[in-house]
Amino acid sequence: MSDPILAVSNLGVDLQREGRIKRIVDNVSFALQPGEVLGLVGEAGSGKSVLARALVRAIAPPLEIVSGKVVFEGRDILSLDPRALARVRGNRIGFIGANPMGSLDPRLPIGQQIVEKLRSVQPEIGRAEARDRVLDFFGRVRIPSPSARFHEAPFQFSGGMMQRVMIVDALVSDPSLVIADNITQPLDVTVAAQIIRLIDGLRQSLNTAFLFISSSLPVVAQLAERTLVMQRGQIVEQGLTSELAANPRQPYTRTLLSRIPPIWKDVMAPTATDGEAVLKVDNVVRTYFVRRRGSFNAYNQVQAVRGVSFTVKAGENFGIVGESGCGKSTLTRLLAWLEQPDGGRIAFLGKDLSHLSAHSLTEMRKSFQLLLQDPYGSLPAGMPLLRMIEEPLLIHGFDRAEAARRAQEAMIEVGLDAELAHRLPVGLSAGQRQRINIARALVLRPRLLILDETLSALDQVEQAELLDLFNRLQATYGFSYVFISHDLALVRRMCHRIAVMYLGRIVELADNTTLFEQPHHPYTRALLSAMPTLEHNHFPHTRYLLDGEPPSPIDLPLGCSFRSRCPRAENDCQKTDPPLLALAGGNYAACLHRHEKETADVE
Amino acid sequence: MFVLSFLLRRLLQGSLIILLVIFIIFTLLRVVPGDPARLIVGGMAPDAVVAMKAKELGLDRPIPIQFLSYLSDLATGDLGTSFVRPKSGASLGGSAFDDSTREDRAKVLDLILGTLPMTLQLAALSLAIALSVAVPLGTLGGLHPGRWPDKLALGLGSICVSTPNFWLGIVLTLFLSVKLKLLPAIGYRGFSYTILPAIVLAVEIIPFILRTLTVSVAQVMREEFIQIAPIRGLTRSRTVLLHALGNAAIPLVNLLGVQLGMLLGGVLVVEFIFDYPGLGLLTINAVLQRDFPLIQGIAIFISVMFVAINILVDLIAMTIDPRLEY
Ligand code: SF4
Repeated sequence: MSDPILAVSNLGVDLQREGRIKRIVDNVSFALQPGEVLGLVGEAGSGKSVLARALVRAIAPPLEIVSGKVVFEGRDILSLDPRALARVRGNRIGFIGANPMGSLDPRLPIGQQIVEKLRSVQPEIGRAEARDRVLDFFGRVRIPSPSARFHEAPFQFSGGMMQRVMIVDALVSDPSLVIADNITQPLDVTVAAQIIRLIDGLRQSLNTAFLFISSSLPVVAQLAERTLVMQRGQIVEQGLTSELAANPRQPYTRTLLSRIPPIWKDVMAPTATDGEAVLKVDNVVRTYFVRRRGSFNAYNQVQAVRGVSFTVKAGENFGIVGESGCGKSTLTRLLAWLEQPDGGRIAFLGKDLSHLSAHSLTEMRKSFQLLLQDPYGSLPAGMPLLRMIEEPLLIHGFDRAEAARRAQEAMIEVGLDAELAHRLPVGLSAGQRQRINIARALVLRPRLLILDETLSALDQVEQAELLDLFNRLQATYGFSYVFISHDLALVRRMCHRIAVMYLGRIVELADNTTLFEQPHHPYTRALLSAMPTLEHNHFPHTRYLLDGEPPSPIDLPLGCSFRSRCPRAENDCQKTDPPLLALAGGNYAACLHRHEKETADVE
Repeated sequence: MFVLSFLLRRLLQGSLIILLVIFIIFTLLRVVPGDPARLIVGGMAPDAVVAMKAKELGLDRPIPIQFLSYLSDLATGDLGTSFVRPKSGASLGGSAFDDSTREDRAKVLDLILGTLPMTLQLAALSLAIALSVAVPLGTLGGLHPGRWPDKLALGLGSICVSTPNFWLGIVLTLFLSVKLKLLPAIGYRGFSYTILPAIVLAVEIIPFILRTLTVSVAQVMREEFIQIAPIRGLTRSRTVLLHALGNAAIPLVNLLGVQLGMLLGGVLVVEFIFDYPGLGLLTINAVLQRDFPLIQGIAIFISVMFVAINILVDLIAMTIDPRLEY
């Protein structure tokens, strides 16, 4: 083995606040070989991001590096003088973070900023040469029309494109080490998969070493040969990634692994009993008008939801999945009747909502409740807990005694401690706040709960607890749920039927088993294949993965709107817009060349 | 193309505002007590002469007709003629009604354009003083929140805010002008006469700039792109000067546009204190003398300036920050 490019020994970082000292990074030692990709996994709060910053000595009070050495290319970074440090950071060591949109000055063209960076760390490079180099890298990370995009500001990029820009920013100085801190976390799954593939290609051609940090072992496993597992500031286990996944030795690693929800292996898809139709959505359309940039009074039509139909039955869990921009948030607002559709109808318990009087609509609203993702923002401030839960009842005209009684019941039901009743909701965990939200919905005895990414801010343990709660409530009251989520694993676990949306349409609607095991639409297969999994993915990257990003909903391509990214597209896809066709078993798919017999690739 | 459509839209909006201002000013001035015809001919003139003068000026016509004819005059760039001021400059009081010099009255537009450069000079100088004090201090304060530059900025801001401008004007005159004989104070006979009023005015502007800048610099410094700039390899001076200040300037530019009204109010008082022959002094005298055409003219002129400056401010903000869109 050659000399390691990075050798960390006994690194310690403390947090000092209000006279108390907390150890964030605890005696960490590891080494990284030239050209190696080393993974680092750990939950939120395990100290991995602080460790990443400590490696480049970007630690500011109240954090402090208290011990250890970070030997990079033979010299200890922690004892370098500022000038020598400046020659390493951003030059020999590149850094990519989890927030691509916020990583560059929002006012200035991205190309100019990368040139600025390159010339700061390598002043001998001329302006023209730096520019060429940046453009060359834009091409290598496959940013379309690099020379035009060179002059655009960050807000004109999507998150995925901006992450490519930040990859260029890190690699342009030809570093020997890149620290990638959670870089796929904010991205959609197909885009994240593209970024992973890109990095894999680049590091082979550049021979750059990567420290690849993520909170998810499956994500790390896509790239890293070796992986470190971090818990409470310590490296608790390290080894070959495949070894770790197959035979974890430490209990913590085992817990991490056990929390990864299975997709194919030993899953029992939930099945629903047939009930009456609770929610009926019929050919719903919603179009927004936005003033065209740089015009006097020309407007663009943004077709956010284009003719969506489905039915949710009593006691059913219905999932809606799709990536950002697919129209699922607009659809959510329509379902919750916060906005009204431009066309089509939404009927609840057989009554068309647009025909209801204001009074009966208020009555009706009790029966369908929306739960949002952010439990902090959606609770009224400054009220004791019990009062908060009573509030919806009081609004709907219940008397105080009845409201208090129901609120207390609901608190017990959702598992909130009765002691909390008269406390203000300060210092509660995100999970507990979400329980308050659920209780607030529950007191009205709804028939349908709409869950808009409700659980995505919670960690795996809290999430699992709340899912159990949802199941319990369903068994008791016969609720129906609509899960709107980007999280396929969650949908796999909970939903009976699932709709996949792309650019404002449902492209496939199928029962759980069909959707995950034998989906008909190429987009569904692409979504599944992009999921990072430790288990064998039934839809291999090589066959199903997508290129590019969805086109803008302002000018949709003629014919099939998925055509620009579809691996199966043929000539007729340019002319015919495929309708959502009914298939066997009550399933639907909108594709002219849908996958039929060919089952997934099962070992 | 984009800039053109922006300008077009803003100019349309602006003209609407100006039209509204004209209408309001015009009506207000007609309903307040005080007979302008009497003012012109003088207190001693017989009623018949007053009535004749009123007829000559068209003051006896119904107000809507007066408004329309005023508008059509405005359209040709004619803001009217002062009731009181002769071309020579001195204002006339209640001298004899048959004084021949009375006939030769000054054009409102000429009066305004004559005093405008003085006010602009005052405004520019005070802005320069205010910026050169407040920008470095405000930036330092924002860079070290909670430390001494921040406290200094806060302290200076509070002192400036709580200093009444007329008091400061008198005190400064007393020390710098009367005692130390460093600067002239009253009237205008050269550039040095602008300095004292400009200082007083600057003291009024400084707290606003200080507060906005400390807050916005501190805010920008917490942004991700500033935080990771050293890891990307940028030097601190570069980060602060180019990126932090550039972003912090956006709220400042907007503030200056908004605070324009306050500045103008300040100009009024300061010019009055120092007897500085600018637009502010002209306004005060016009009001004291019930010189309707002049008051109208100034109000309209100022509203036009307001609209123009606001458009300019937005244009500047847009060049600093391409995300802004109107
Ligand atoms: S219709 Fe054509 S382009 Fe559209 S999904 Fe099917 S194969 Fe792809």
